[in-house]
Amino acid sequence: METRLRIFLLTVVLATLPGCATVRHWFQRDHQAPTAATPGEDENAPAPRVVDPEVSRRKITVPKIRSRNIEVGLDYGVLSIEDFGTHPSYGITAAYHITEDFFFQGEYGRSRAGRTSFEQLNGGVNLLTDSERRFTYYDLSLGYNFLPGEAFIGRGRAMTSAFYLLGGIGGTDFAGDTKFTVNFGAGYRVVPADWLAIHITVQDRVFQSTLLGSAKLTNNLEARIGTTVFF
Amino acid sequence: MLRRAHHFALAGLLLLAALLAPAVGAAREYLQLFVTQPYLELHTGPGRGYPVFHVVPRDGSVDVLFRRTDWFKVRTEQGVEGWASQTDMQKTMLADGSPFKFDLGDRAGFTNHRYEMGIFAGQYGGATLVSGFMSVSFNSQLALEGALGQYLGKFSNGVTGDIGFAHVLAPEARWSPFVTLGLGLVRVQPKATLVQAADRTEQSAYVGGGIRYYLTRRFFLRAEYKAHWIFTKRNENEDADEWKLGFAFFY
Repeated sequence: METRLRIFLLTVVLATLPGCATVRHWFQRDHQAPTAATPGEDENAPAPRVVDPEVSRRKITVPKIRSRNIEVGLDYGVLSIEDFGTHPSYGITAAYHITEDFFFQGEYGRSRAGRTSFEQLNGGVNLLTDSERRFTYYDLSLGYNFLPGEAFIGRGRAMTSAFYLLGGIGGTDFAGDTKFTVNFGAGYRVVPADWLAIHITVQDRVFQSTLLGSAKLTNNLEARIGTTVFF
Repeated sequence: MLRRAHHFALAGLLLLAALLAPAVGAAREYLQLFVTQPYLELHTGPGRGYPVFHVVPRDGSVDVLFRRTDWFKVRTEQGVEGWASQTDMQKTMLADGSPFKFDLGDRAGFTNHRYEMGIFAGQYGGATLVSGFMSVSFNSQLALEGALGQYLGKFSNGVTGDIGFAHVLAPEARWSPFVTLGLGLVRVQPKATLVQAADRTEQSAYVGGGIRYYLTRRFFLRAEYKAHWIFTKRNENEDADEWKLGFAFFY
């Protein structure tokens, strides 16, 4: 008798167990069952959170790093125009530092030519008109920081410095004509603050001139001192 | 009078420079980076030869003040300021743990960059040419570029200005060819001794091509040819060949 009851109960349990496996589906009938159309989402969906934090995510902006490679400034000096004497000159310089060794530099400057010794000896002779005596140069040069180093003032102050070489091409407006001009020179730069630099430069501008009869290469040496600001 | 105006301009520029200086150094928010290597070396200047005077230990942080060429000026938590090299800065990370990434200026940059600039020497219709160019890239292959040049010849001098598109054919190659197409203006200044002495400005169009050769770091050489058609106000149009070789960089 007991054995038959046991067999009966066992049969009931066996019959209901597969039914229990469907229990989880009973309650999901009310919810929107996940459709078979989006199986991919199911796999990638994050695991359900135990605690849902009520914190809104803050958007972090990474500050941009400023580049300070551009140097712009003014300079003043003396320019010796071959055959026409030495006179004050002033100009604007702009440079772009490409690497720690090289930089590009653009220069624009002006000066005025004096009288040649021939004109001085022959009182009334004027080789050039007043406006033709204006000397304007502009050029693009490549610079190389040849001897970088540091300069010191006293015990507590060090400034980075460099001796640099310059070479480039450009033009010169002089005596009513524009001449193709090659320039080369050297300079010394001291950087007392991150934004400021002081330069001393000596540069030779060479162009061909036919002004005094035959064609010849003229050397026009310039020495100048300048201040630049880094941007 | 003119001299006085010059002095005025000079004084004005000096004043401007003086005024701008504090603005340049004004306070701003800096990027904070964390050291992941055993230490980060700080040099006294932005160059390989400047001595190391301070080190920031692992997990220490620095604020990046600004960048000059391949060097970063940084400030430590203690307020020590020094220069860290680009190579060392590659091994730092941001506050969220992600590595610090920046434009390195290497071969990959040659293929893909935003700006180019350079200077050329060459010939323009038989006259000596000096010119400079600048370009803005839209992607690794297409760029908008402008060039300004001055030619100095026996019979005339002149200024040329061009604007056009450049298409780089193989941007990833070291020898990378390109083709150009655009429009321009030519200002012709005949030498005073000739009969037809008036200055004139003409419109022009050009088609050309050339090759770029990557040198090192941010530098490359650029050789270029342009065939110009100059639309004159006379009965016949002129044409001029432009050949030039230059030195350029990208950033």
